[in-house]
Amino acid sequence: MKKIGQVTALGLLMITTAALAQSKPVAGEVAEGSLKDKTLTFVSYGGIYQDGQIAALKEFVDKSGVTLLSDGPTEISKLQAQVESGNVTWDVVDTGDFPPYVYCGKLFQKLDLSKIDTSNIPEGQISECSVPAMNYGVVLMYNTEKYKDNPPKSWKDFFDIEKFPGSRALEGSGDLSGGMIEQALLAAGGSVENMTVADIDKAIEKVKSLGPDTIFWKTGADSQQLAESGEADMIAMWTGRAMTAVKNGAAYTPVWQDWLVVMDQMTIPMGVKDPDAAHALINAYVGKSAQETLAKTTSYTPIHKDAKPEVDEVTAAFMTNTPDKLKLGYQQNIKFWVENFEVANEKWNALMAGN
Amino acid sequence: MTARATDSRTAVPAVAADDRRRWFRGQAFWLVAPALLLLVICLGLPLAIVTLRSFSEPQWGWQNYAWFFGTPVNLTVLQRTFTISAWVTLVCLIAGYPYAYLMTAVGPKMRLILILCVLVPFWVSGVVRTLAWVILLQDSGVINSVIRAAGLGSVKLIRTQTGVVIGMAQVLLPFMILPLYSVMKTIDLRLMQAARSLGASPARAFAQVYLPLSLPGVYAGAIIVFILALGFYITPALLGGPRSTMLSTLIQNQVLSLLNWGRGGAMGVVLLIATFVLLALAAPLTRQPHKTGSGR
Repeated sequence: MKKIGQVTALGLLMITTAALAQSKPVAGEVAEGSLKDKTLTFVSYGGIYQDGQIAALKEFVDKSGVTLLSDGPTEISKLQAQVESGNVTWDVVDTGDFPPYVYCGKLFQKLDLSKIDTSNIPEGQISECSVPAMNYGVVLMYNTEKYKDNPPKSWKDFFDIEKFPGSRALEGSGDLSGGMIEQALLAAGGSVENMTVADIDKAIEKVKSLGPDTIFWKTGADSQQLAESGEADMIAMWTGRAMTAVKNGAAYTPVWQDWLVVMDQMTIPMGVKDPDAAHALINAYVGKSAQETLAKTTSYTPIHKDAKPEVDEVTAAFMTNTPDKLKLGYQQNIKFWVENFEVANEKWNALMAGN
Repeated sequence: MTARATDSRTAVPAVAADDRRRWFRGQAFWLVAPALLLLVICLGLPLAIVTLRSFSEPQWGWQNYAWFFGTPVNLTVLQRTFTISAWVTLVCLIAGYPYAYLMTAVGPKMRLILILCVLVPFWVSGVVRTLAWVILLQDSGVINSVIRAAGLGSVKLIRTQTGVVIGMAQVLLPFMILPLYSVMKTIDLRLMQAARSLGASPARAFAQVYLPLSLPGVYAGAIIVFILALGFYITPALLGGPRSTMLSTLIQNQVLSLLNWGRGGAMGVVLLIATFVLLALAAPLTRQPHKTGSGR
């Protein structure tokens, strides 16, 4: 009797070890044929970006046997409609900075981090409901012909219209850029520690002080256009667009001091049919070779610390994951912006609507 | 040529209209049933839901409307939406009226070319056309280069209301020209000759004979252009600055960025009602009795 008990215990131990070994995920890996006959729908923002993401997931698809569908563009309102109607067809969704914070537990489920290997993701980028999908930044690009001998060195100079005369352009796509408001506040002599709602007004006043000719670009293409045609002397630009503009011959140079860290997020909506499969997709996505493919095809910065994508010189110059650039990066106060999401949006939108 | 064409038209409508009316009372109703069903499902139902949500979210009540009218920026933008639309309508009318007239005056081959000129841009995506306008209108753009080369300084066109009106007018021009043309081609040009032979100057013949006869087309075109302009989104977003933001941008922001369906819905309902009121005011104009050459 005793012996049988021992054997059973040993057997149990072996089974649990095997199970543990299997469940301990490694970024980028998936068990052969584990998702056969299953279908996952991946949703993102389309264009080169989503193509690159799908390319990055090719290994995952081939190995797991999953059928991967691609849909989009991401719209939180559409996702909300799906979650509310109980018919969620989007399994993994790429979103902007804030949604997984604002709607965590409401539209997005809390991620089970025992199913995703997050050990190689840069620090401070994982939230309860998201892991980063890629990194990029907002940099100050200035016209080198306009500011020959005395170039701007920081956002403070961007907001200083007296020392640095000239036209300015910043993002007006409708999404709230907390980092930009914080920089405006700093330039106005405020402090970002213990920020209050009144500080948003102060920052917005600073933006207004740039004058009526300030350009608020609506799309990435729009900002690139501004640089290539030399319409604005200083432009706050997404790194990807800045890179393309430089490649196309725009005489602009980035200022990396306090570049604003931005990321897209990988999320799983509430009520997906197969959360395990969705987790497996994300775990594969954050793998080294997947991230290298992503970076190579999209020129966005990979979120795997060791990823070394083969890219050309200009693209490499705009990658934000090098140690020196990571040191200069500025991380917005996500907590503050999430807590004050609505009021901040209202104030920013009033500015955008010309009030 | 003109005379014959007009003759064939003069006889037909009266009879056809009677026939149609009789026929419509019978089975013919079912012909519109599919369209009607589509309209109810795809327009009526969503509209009802949006209206409902504007009263029910986050709680039942008038809160979203109180918010709309209590927030100055909304009122500014609402007013601006109507102002810009009115300007666009005016520009379309000024540009479209002579064009439509020309279409009635030329031969069939030339007319085809003129119609193509109106319609070809219509087949190009609105975004592409708007971006083309960016290239034309921007400070370092084509128009300003020409003006500068001529030594006349430069004009601020992009990111101003002027730029938005120009861009929108180009997009909407076909909606003005086509109704105008369809009315103008029924005007019997012999009436102008008659006016002239009775001693009217060309200007007077136009003002007292041709213009009144073409008014139904003017009203139809103006109403279509005005209503379409009210809902414009991409063009003002790309060609305008903050001071030319229109209401759809604000609605989009409420719904897509803030998931505030209640407020977004309320904004939509306000725009809709404001439009209806305006149309109701304009309706008596369009029903003005007119004597055309249709023989009735």
